[in-house]
Amino acid sequence: MSPTRRIEWGIYAAFIVLIMLAPLAMDPFWLNRVAKYLVYGMLGVAVALSWGYAGILNLGQGLFFGAGAYMLAMSLKLASTTSLRQGSDKPVPDFMLWNAEPGAPTELCCINKASFLWLPFQNQWFGVAMALILPVAIAAIIGTIVFRKRIAGVFVSIITLALVLLVRLVVIDAQPITNGFNGLTDLGWFKVAGFEFDPYVVQTYYLVAISLAIVLAGARLLVETRAGIILQAIRDDENRARCLGFDVPVYQTFFFAVSAAIAGFAGMLYVVVSEFASPTFMDLTFSITMVVWAAVGGRSSILGACIGAILINIISATVSETAGFAEAWKAIIGLIFVLVVLYLPRGLAGLAHDFVARVVTRKLPSSSRELRATNTSQLAE
Amino acid sequence: MLEVLFIGLSVGSILLLVALGLAITYGAMGVINMAHGELVMIGAYVTVLSGIWLGANIFVAIPIAFIVTALLGLLIEHVVVRRLYGRLLDTLLATWGIAILIQQAVRLELALSFFGIHIQGLGPGLQNVSVPAILQGTFVIGGAEINRYRTFIIFVTAVLAFVTWLIMYRTAIGMQVRAIIRNPKMAAACGINVARINALTFAFGSGLAGIAGVMMSGFKTVFPDMGTSMVVDGFLVVVMGGVGSLLGSVLSAGILGEINGFVAAATNDILARAVVFGVVILIIILKPKGLFALKGR
Repeated sequence: MSPTRRIEWGIYAAFIVLIMLAPLAMDPFWLNRVAKYLVYGMLGVAVALSWGYAGILNLGQGLFFGAGAYMLAMSLKLASTTSLRQGSDKPVPDFMLWNAEPGAPTELCCINKASFLWLPFQNQWFGVAMALILPVAIAAIIGTIVFRKRIAGVFVSIITLALVLLVRLVVIDAQPITNGFNGLTDLGWFKVAGFEFDPYVVQTYYLVAISLAIVLAGARLLVETRAGIILQAIRDDENRARCLGFDVPVYQTFFFAVSAAIAGFAGMLYVVVSEFASPTFMDLTFSITMVVWAAVGGRSSILGACIGAILINIISATVSETAGFAEAWKAIIGLIFVLVVLYLPRGLAGLAHDFVARVVTRKLPSSSRELRATNTSQLAE
Repeated sequence: MLEVLFIGLSVGSILLLVALGLAITYGAMGVINMAHGELVMIGAYVTVLSGIWLGANIFVAIPIAFIVTALLGLLIEHVVVRRLYGRLLDTLLATWGIAILIQQAVRLELALSFFGIHIQGLGPGLQNVSVPAILQGTFVIGGAEINRYRTFIIFVTAVLAFVTWLIMYRTAIGMQVRAIIRNPKMAAACGINVARINALTFAFGSGLAGIAGVMMSGFKTVFPDMGTSMVVDGFLVVVMGGVGSLLGSVLSAGILGEINGFVAAATNDILARAVVFGVVILIIILKPKGLFALKGR
């Protein structure tokens, strides 16, 4: 292991230890908040993978996040006490009955035309599985079409942007089955083997923190594999990679789908922690905000993008609670963003990286001198 | 039927109004200006403020808005965009930051609200502009009720598109702009002052956004967030039409407007917008360079 790489893994380890120890210093209210920010950190990882490593600026990451969130939220909605008390033997979401036509049946199968879609979500694990499968399936379809047609750069961004807005509008328009603008609220708790993940207990925090640690390490290992290195070669020069015989669209689609899976997983955890899912997850503003986090933290650093997301959110939560600063803080974010793009294109991680590199090279000259000395002595012999 | 066609035409012309400025900045300079919607918003606020403080109507607001937003555009180009030429996606991100700044500037009444000073017409609330009497109401043609204000929007859009065409294709500056679109390095080598022309182009595009804002103010309520969705619509029009093609933008605005009009008449407004997004995605997938892309070198 090279010294730089050892330092890098050391920083990962330090970060993971830090988030594991956080509960020692926080009350349940802040713990719940930080859990949300760790979920955002996971979104940072997703953005870094697709933008920093694959070179695909996805302006519709909210689509995958929203898909993950809605899939689990549908299951948790059916598990809530209000859904159980709707007068039928099986749970039924309350809003469906409010919106139902007079005299409509109260069974999930046929309250309205598409309510049967909810039937499989009676099993919580179906919701969990779909929260991962749906984003990956969407990403695989878009990826295959877009990358096979060699659509690149800003056009991919525009397609993903239009797609997330399209889906958002469809979700809002499908009021009878998705509760439209209001989203899914009043959810039950996520249950594993009889344990209920109340959002304000420390176990829920650990569910998120451990997930983030796994995602971070997994993503870091993934980009170090052969496939990850080929992907970076594709990002740097697509035509060269193609001429070398690599099947470019396959690599791009694969990493696009991994990024989607992480975003979907993040959406799922967000629902566990925040107890709602809403079409605002698919607003353009939210998708671009994720990109902002990653840019400030460092677009081509997985941990950097993650820390960027967490840091901005913690600071903004603290600052915006100071009276009068809520709006000013947003302006400051805008300003920071302009400055980062202009003067710090590699984000905070770039700064840290330069610092580490300088420390390492300052140590290095002595050892390389020794090396040269031995080399020359060997030559002399 | 005629009514639906007319509504579609007016939606299309609103799209074009917003897209025209973007088409110029994106096509000519390779800059995605996410703050374009905010420049439209500034134009709308100019109408509000000139109504309150000068007692001026929409007609007077048009030139004022053009000058204000053109100057603001010039400032943005000088301070930020100038450093980012050739970094397309970075211009997108940086101008998004500028967009947030402009929005908050309006919300915080140019930061004066911290000192307890309030400017009537600014701030986070909703503003309304009353349209002059001549533009209110409807008239009837061939049994269809035609809204006067929408007709006015169509008229203004047509005039602006024509003026833009004149500048781009019938003046020396326009020829230089087109040369830069084709090949900026070659243009610079031929003695064109690229930096100056780019600045002027950006200012002109911003000015068009300002006029779009004036027109929007008579049509919708004015509020600090109004720009975000507009810039998206504008982009879709420009990208679908093909970068650097004025004709492409005009036609794609018309097509999307009519699709929106017909779907909205058949179902509802939300679904109509969704269908428009779907059509744009399909067209980009089928023709990644847009409907009327410039032929490559």
